[in-house]
Amino acid sequence: MNLLRWAVLTAGVISLAVLILRARWAAAFGRPESYAPARGSARRGIIYALGRGLLPWEKESARLHLATYVAGILYHAGLFGAFAILSAQAADIAMPRPVAFLLRIDLALGLFSGIGLLIKRAARSLSRFLSRCDDYAANLIVDLFLAFALAASLDARAEVPFMAISVILLIYIPLGKIRHCLFFFRSRIGFGRLLGRRGVLPPGRASAS
Amino acid sequence: MPEIPMRKRTWAERLEDLPPRNFKAAIQTLADIIDTPSADGLESCVRCGLCAESCHYFLDDRDLRSVPAYKLNLIIRIFRRQIAGAGRPRRGAPGLSAAAIREWADALYGRCTLCGRCMVNCTMGIRIPSIIRKGRAVLASLGLVPDGLDSTLATARETGNNMGITREDWMETAAWLEEDLRTETSDLRIRMPMDAAGADFLYAVNPREPKFYPLTLTAAAKLFHAAGRSWTLSSHAFDVTNYAYFVGDDALAARFASRLREAMDALNIKTLVLSECGHGFASNRWEAASWLAEKLDREVKSVLEIVAEDLRAGRIRLDPDRNPKTVTLHDPCQLVRMGGIIEEQREILRHCVRRFVEMTPNRKDNYCCGGGGGQLSMSEFAARRKSAGRIKAAQIARTEAQVVASPCHNCLDQLADINKHYRLGVEIKSVLELAAEALLPPQG
Ligand code: SF4
Ligand code: SF4
Repeated sequence: MNLLRWAVLTAGVISLAVLILRARWAAAFGRPESYAPARGSARRGIIYALGRGLLPWEKESARLHLATYVAGILYHAGLFGAFAILSAQAADIAMPRPVAFLLRIDLALGLFSGIGLLIKRAARSLSRFLSRCDDYAANLIVDLFLAFALAASLDARAEVPFMAISVILLIYIPLGKIRHCLFFFRSRIGFGRLLGRRGVLPPGRASAS
Repeated sequence: MPEIPMRKRTWAERLEDLPPRNFKAAIQTLADIIDTPSADGLESCVRCGLCAESCHYFLDDRDLRSVPAYKLNLIIRIFRRQIAGAGRPRRGAPGLSAAAIREWADALYGRCTLCGRCMVNCTMGIRIPSIIRKGRAVLASLGLVPDGLDSTLATARETGNNMGITREDWMETAAWLEEDLRTETSDLRIRMPMDAAGADFLYAVNPREPKFYPLTLTAAAKLFHAAGRSWTLSSHAFDVTNYAYFVGDDALAARFASRLREAMDALNIKTLVLSECGHGFASNRWEAASWLAEKLDREVKSVLEIVAEDLRAGRIRLDPDRNPKTVTLHDPCQLVRMGGIIEEQREILRHCVRRFVEMTPNRKDNYCCGGGGGQLSMSEFAARRKSAGRIKAAQIARTEAQVVASPCHNCLDQLADINKHYRLGVEIKSVLELAAEALLPPQG
């Protein structure tokens, strides 16, 4: 068990290091200077892009795919819950019962959503057309991570497979699509900065119905 | 024996004759032009497909190749295999095949107007149009620019404007328009000033105006005159458009943009005012300074900002009863979603038409008319352009307006086309035209 804990820790450090490297690679391409004087505020654009701009009433794509949008949020919330359980177990911290109970609900909803998203990806022609092995693999690994986190929170015998899948997930993060955990922020900040400077974001009035 | 001139091969022939592989130089081009925001975007796409319905092409044809993420992932595939991490093409990695290049050409030129609607709807906020422009630049580096767009670029390169108007013709046109204006308004002081050094601003126009739509040019002159503005045209540089923007050729785009800046310097003018042109605004207002690495104290404004300022300051008065028909507004993507000129045109229309109705959706969420991204010059994709215009046609029909106004000459052309094609039976007008029609004589 101790060995597995060390493996999780090592995988976490490697994962973080590779993610930082990837961010540095992307940064090395260079950001074009914005010499044109701003019409709006980059800061306000960024705040919008990372906040209100993610809400379904602000974004047609989220409104049109509300079930997927909600499933996505639950899936990610489940993932954070699983990491909370992993951290507690790796550090040998006992969770207070109400917290553990809430986390189990979070994990169950996340797992349910993850499986739903996987089925949707495989069943819908548009998603199938866009998808690559990475998309299925990432979803499966995260689903297993959630499932074993849930099991481990109920039964100590599941701790070993949970640690094992955690190592796989941590190694996979910077190599596959899950690295969007970092690039999501970088992209949205870039988007907010661009349209914030230009005075497009945050939008002044309701523009869609 | 007289030499028989070689016929230039068409775009289709050039695509057909591509060697099967060895496009290393193209991959190098991509590596050279990728910047950090693009790299972040290329690393971000999770292929959720939520962007699909934001694209008017996909809404129209439901072809999976019209989904923005598909277009983006054509580039992602090469970027991740070849460039990511290393920052330069990798030896031995699977490269860019002729088949892939044909896919790029069809999708990046033929299924995109660079409208940016997918970007505002993307889960990750990926700057998709900017990345597609880079893909187009790669194709351009292989000599694969669609014929019509290529010849528009050649004309602009050789003559200084995209319609090949000579300096003499331009000056003559301005002179007879001035005469016409004086006759029409019975005001001998109204002018189409040419090369007036030290004027408050230089006015740049779309070459379509002197060539086909002189009414929009005289409309601007009437409004400026009524407001008592000091302005001028330049006999050397007058073209607000920049078609190099559509092919991602930043060096050429910089050359085009520098012409207006040089004309400003020659006339000792600090402000450039741009006529109604979406991409002309985005390129001159937002991109040119970066292309030219310019930090000078210049101001670049849309003519809509000028007219709205004059309205607010009471320098001009408009009578909405002179435009009694119901008017709706098409928001040009490059001016509004990518440019930030959002409320000025509305402010002007509310003053100059009796009934103004919004399209739904509008402003940053508006649908592209289908004519952007250089599509109007690409006869190869004309049928697709008209078909994709169906989304805009339906939007117009729902407003039940009799007039569609738009502050962009490219959009006006496409709107006229879809008006005919879908038998909408509306009038298509520029915002300045409507404002000039409602212009009241100065008080006192
Ligand atoms: S919405 Fe954005 S992240 Fe999702 S598939 Fe489209 S481009 Fe990719
Ligand atoms: S920029 Fe516009 S036309 Fe191009 S893919 Fe995105 S939504 Fe479609």
